Amino acid sequence: MKNFRIYDCALLARTSGLPTALNLRELRERLASCSSNVIYHHFCETPMVASFDNPDYRNDVAVWIKLHLGDRVLAERIGIIDPYSFFDMEELRVLTLDLIDERLSELPFVPSAPPGSEFYFMESTTVVFDTGRAIEHPRDLASSILTMTGSSIYFHFLEARRRHPENIDDFSAWLLDSPEEFKMEVNALHSIDFTFFTLSELRNELAKLLSHAGGIP
Amino acid sequence: MTIHLDMYEGIVGAPVIGQLRQLAKGLQGKRVVHVNSTREGGGVAEILDWMVPLMCDMGIDARWEVIQGTNEFFNVTKSIHNGLQGYPAPITTRGWQTYLDVNVANFETLRPILEEAEVVLIHDPQPAPLLKLCQNRKGKWIWRGHIDISHPYRPVWKGLKPYVAGYDASIFSMNTFAHPLPHPQFIVPPSIDPLSDKNCDLEYSELEQVRARFGLDPDRPLVVQVSRFDRFKDPLGVIAACRLVRTVTPLQLVLAGGGATDDPEGKAMLDEVMEEAAGDPDIHVLLLPPNDDRTINALQRLADIIIQKSTKEGFGLTVTEGLWKGKPVIGGDVGGIRRQVVNYHTGFLVNTPEGAAHRIRFLLHHHDLKKEIGIKAKEFIRENFLLTRQLREYLTLFHEALQGSGERRFYV
Repeated sequence: MKNFRIYDCALLARTSGLPTALNLRELRERLASCSSNVIYHHFCETPMVASFDNPDYRNDVAVWIKLHLGDRVLAERIGIIDPYSFFDMEELRVLTLDLIDERLSELPFVPSAPPGSEFYFMESTTVVFDTGRAIEHPRDLASSILTMTGSSIYFHFLEARRRHPENIDDFSAWLLDSPEEFKMEVNALHSIDFTFFTLSELRNELAKLLSHAGGIP
Repeated sequence: MTIHLDMYEGIVGAPVIGQLRQLAKGLQGKRVVHVNSTREGGGVAEILDWMVPLMCDMGIDARWEVIQGTNEFFNVTKSIHNGLQGYPAPITTRGWQTYLDVNVANFETLRPILEEAEVVLIHDPQPAPLLKLCQNRKGKWIWRGHIDISHPYRPVWKGLKPYVAGYDASIFSMNTFAHPLPHPQFIVPPSIDPLSDKNCDLEYSELEQVRARFGLDPDRPLVVQVSRFDRFKDPLGVIAACRLVRTVTPLQLVLAGGGATDDPEGKAMLDEVMEEAAGDPDIHVLLLPPNDDRTINALQRLADIIIQKSTKEGFGLTVTEGLWKGKPVIGGDVGGIRRQVVNYHTGFLVNTPEGAAHRIRFLLHHHDLKKEIGIKAKEFIRENFLLTRQLREYLTLFHEALQGSGERRFYV
């Protein structure tokens, strides 16, 4: 069994060059024409972006629709989307546009945000680097996870889902590759509803569940 | 005291320090030059004060250069500063010429350093023309705008844009601060140094000394605003708010600020504030020397509430400092304050002296919420707004500038 090499990443946000959106129709137009990197940033990379509160939803689109357009119905519909389950951002774009179109057809008006609360379309650059550390045996996974940064957890547990065709995280992929049986650990990893965790909370949860699954007190 | 990255391990944790060292490995020996216009006073100097030594500690050949200017030059750059923030501040042809001439004179001194640098970071508009003057540059040049230039006074922007458009990239503190430019625009919020004199933990005795020094009453609530005496910080609005509160409950106010060598308007504003506060024993207007950071720190820690009632603001590092000290912040609903102050989470956003007065009364009434907000605020800063996060983003930017290909993700 190969060692698990621990990678880390650092994200740098940048403007996309798109004009801002002040209402739902403008949001729809920009989402229809923006690059997939913009979709990825606003749906998948939000745990990596600094925040001063715990928003209700984990994607920027749903948060903005709720807070600034005041449309709770559409926010709920878009807020429940699991962006990591989409291998292709184009599928996520199509679904989001469908939901917005459906809502526009239900409403007698176009919801607008007050000036100063526009939606800014962003994207990012991510640098990935080898930490030089590796995990030799799955029994060390839980304790090693506790020493990882939040961005390393993001890279291996969330972002990984889009790298594996089976839509699984790096830890599970490594455990499944083992000649030994680590079914309980893999099940534990699959059982996590990561939506409501910050990255540091997620790190602690992963370590806790893996410890319990492996029978380590 | 020389600062080292390892000194922060106890605050941010070993993984964060390890991550920075890993990220810096590919940047060993790279020549990075920061240029600004003042070594003390204001947020930029404070950031460079720790950023440069920490970059050196990580193996980067970083240095900090300060351009020298005349009074006339700083009057022009103050007008540019005001104009970029939307305040009508006409600049004469002679003013623009002075701006260029001072940069030409500084370039002659800095030429060898700037020509050889692999990355040059020019902070704010004062040294922006250096790029055009440096015809034999080898490295990547990045303009770091620390203020909100999203809605500039157009004549000023027209005058400045030719100097900044040619940079390889620019950095803004928030996406809302950026203005369209023909190069990539990155977003890097600033941060604070938790070990600096302004933010480190202080002994109780030191707090009491500061309390006694300024005649502050321990039995009555204290509201503190720390900032330059600048029209956009609205010190007169803060006084008005506190006077409104005092119609129903006792309150002391401290308005504390230092002067910066590149801020000639500060004296006029200070005089206006002094006149407004004259004869009021519960309004303390303190002009502190630039290096009196421990006093600022103590005042923030003595406060029940931190206020930053700006009408225009860059990121608002005094807000970050207040939150790091576990205090709720009442802030103007502008600029970077909007990002840091989230109603009921870290404080309250307000638009008027009346609004500020209302929220001061609210927080003084709700002690438990005030405490809860303070605890939460400190953790948000630890996670997101300490210098380690900003260093990480600068290192990422250096990688992008030196070897990025415009791809969303790349390995180093």
